[in-house]
Amino acid sequence: MRKIIHIDMDCFFAAVEMRDNPAWRQVPLAIGGSRTERGVISTCNYPARAFGVRSAMPTGQAFKLCPQLVLVPGNMEKYKAVSTSIQAIFHRYTDKVEPLSLDEAYLDVSECDLFQGSATRIAEHIRQTIFQETGLTASAGVAPNKFLAKIASDENKPDGMFVIPPEQVSGFVAHLQLRKIPGVGQKTAEKLAKFGLHRCSDVQNADLTLLVREFGSFAEVLLERSQGIDHRAVHTDRERKSVAVEQTFSQDLNKPEQGLQPLADMYQKLLRRIERCGAQEHIHKVGIKLKFQDFHQTTIERQHPELCFQLLQQLLTQAWLRGQGKAVRLVGIHVGLKSQAEQAQLDLDWQ
Amino acid sequence: MHFIIERDALLKPLQMVSGAIERRHTLPILSNVLLDVTADQIALTGTDLEIELVAHAFPQQVITPGRVTIPAKKLLDICRSLPESSVLTLHLQGENCVVSTGKSKFTLATLSANDYPNLESWQGEVEFELSRLQLRKLLDDTAFSMANQDVRYYLNGLLFEVDNGTLRTVATDGHRLALSSMELPVTANQQKQVIIPRKGVLELMRLLVADDQLIRLSIGQNHIRLIDSQFSFSSKLIDGRFPDYRRVLPRNSSRQLTAHRAVLKDACVRASILSNEKYRGVRFTLNPQELQIVANNPEHEQAEEVIEVEYNGDTLEIGFNVGYVLDVLNTLNTDLVVMHLSDANSSSLVEGVGNAGALYVVMPMRL
Repeated sequence: MRKIIHIDMDCFFAAVEMRDNPAWRQVPLAIGGSRTERGVISTCNYPARAFGVRSAMPTGQAFKLCPQLVLVPGNMEKYKAVSTSIQAIFHRYTDKVEPLSLDEAYLDVSECDLFQGSATRIAEHIRQTIFQETGLTASAGVAPNKFLAKIASDENKPDGMFVIPPEQVSGFVAHLQLRKIPGVGQKTAEKLAKFGLHRCSDVQNADLTLLVREFGSFAEVLLERSQGIDHRAVHTDRERKSVAVEQTFSQDLNKPEQGLQPLADMYQKLLRRIERCGAQEHIHKVGIKLKFQDFHQTTIERQHPELCFQLLQQLLTQAWLRGQGKAVRLVGIHVGLKSQAEQAQLDLDWQ
Repeated sequence: MHFIIERDALLKPLQMVSGAIERRHTLPILSNVLLDVTADQIALTGTDLEIELVAHAFPQQVITPGRVTIPAKKLLDICRSLPESSVLTLHLQGENCVVSTGKSKFTLATLSANDYPNLESWQGEVEFELSRLQLRKLLDDTAFSMANQDVRYYLNGLLFEVDNGTLRTVATDGHRLALSSMELPVTANQQKQVIIPRKGVLELMRLLVADDQLIRLSIGQNHIRLIDSQFSFSSKLIDGRFPDYRRVLPRNSSRQLTAHRAVLKDACVRASILSNEKYRGVRFTLNPQELQIVANNPEHEQAEEVIEVEYNGDTLEIGFNVGYVLDVLNTLNTDLVVMHLSDANSSSLVEGVGNAGALYVVMPMRL
């Protein structure tokens, strides 16, 4: 069973603009192209939504609904920069991050051992961290798969979260409107309604041959989602390249000998972490990182097919010398992994 | 130093030696070409401390002999961009070399010829002659399988083996291996195994013309030299142990497939379009008299090719990096090729029917 978090920034572009110009907080605000350019609204804040303004709505129509609307052209560079810092926050919890856009991402936290592995507390912590570091609010959905996590993040928007624990999945989907399933747009929803299908429970009880006849290959997805099933993995474009553990010390270390015990602890921790992601067979590098008291840092890496404590000790001593007597505030160890291609391609055996 | 030379007479040897010269080097003099002007000819030398190339140019007139080094790339660019019929005067004036022709004049900085590094002198232990074409074939057959920037530094080059009358080249990157050999009667009773660095091999392939002219090879403890009528090439050798290629040549392959090279190649080229761009895996399914090639990509698209082959074994599915297969099929030039296979996890031996000399080993990919 996976633990998936869907994070969705609340009216992201508008939120960034309101953060930087608080006067806009109380007025209907939209980011989008101008009326004269036949532009559309890309995002708007909640006061604007109260007038019925929506994303993707032509700007002209938005002004008809809300003549006092403040329209801002938007600053994509700024939004991208904010998005980058949010992505960086995600990666503190897991490397399995699938960004959907600048303001939305799936996180697979199945292997994250923070907060005793509680996805709910991880999600809450991510939301807090985003707010502390960017001044923006995010909503989160926590569920055993992507589709449910995405629906959940919408439940308590804005600045809220919603959790669907595994045991509540069937209860949750039974009442779920089919319209909420990604891929079911207005047209499909109308067609489903024609056959008396409104909620997921209706599809669960529907005639399979009718579904397949009417909806083709989409029937399979529809049936799965209606039962709360979604096998899609969180796709990180970048495959896992390394597994690492690091520790910042409450007091800087002055001698390499002081680093040995923490090194031994981290070694054990990294071993477990490697095992958990099934990477034992794919190690091809072992490395160490030291950060000195002046925040200068150094790394050493060696080609080696397994995590080996002796090698780490050697690397620690070598790296320590580079500090030329400076105290060490952080030690990190890591293994580099072969790419998927390198794993699949067999080697010539000339031993 | 002062001489007059036609542009083309200078350009060709300059192009030859500049292959060894890095544009930017921590040692500035290594970006320069050494000109050694004697009464009737100019020796041009380029080196990167690993390989050294020497070519000769014949000037119209030498006014003053002398030796100097000047920036190679700049001189080359100047020569290239001058009209073909230009006649150049190169004249050392103080610290500068002035290149002039017609109304063009270029003043280049020089560095002392005395500081130009030579490869240390060495003794040849094995020496023999062969034709340019013979050496080219050995290089063409195998060089593509060399590793590139592998930590196993001894794979970043080409094994050159003289073995009792057989001259052999072997290259491998750990996933595939190429081997080519030819008989060379004059070297009977001589044995030598050396590794030529990748860059030297590629330079040689750039310089060697494929004709019958004889060239002379000389191999020493740490160096190899090739004397061609147009140039001489020297390279340091890689000091390391090349893997024993004999161990990876599959001996008892139970299955044998014969296919038309062009047909197999074209099918692989088409299938590769829908293979994963990064991993390039394709699935070969061998059935009696038929080979199916299937490729899939992450977008769930699929290519399927079926070709007629000569095969009598039972069904076998085996994956390959299609790039490795195509490298072999592009290098072979016979009408028919044979693949000797055992199972999905064992190496496959590929050779051309009637092409004595070249053998290829390709390791499969796990599917």
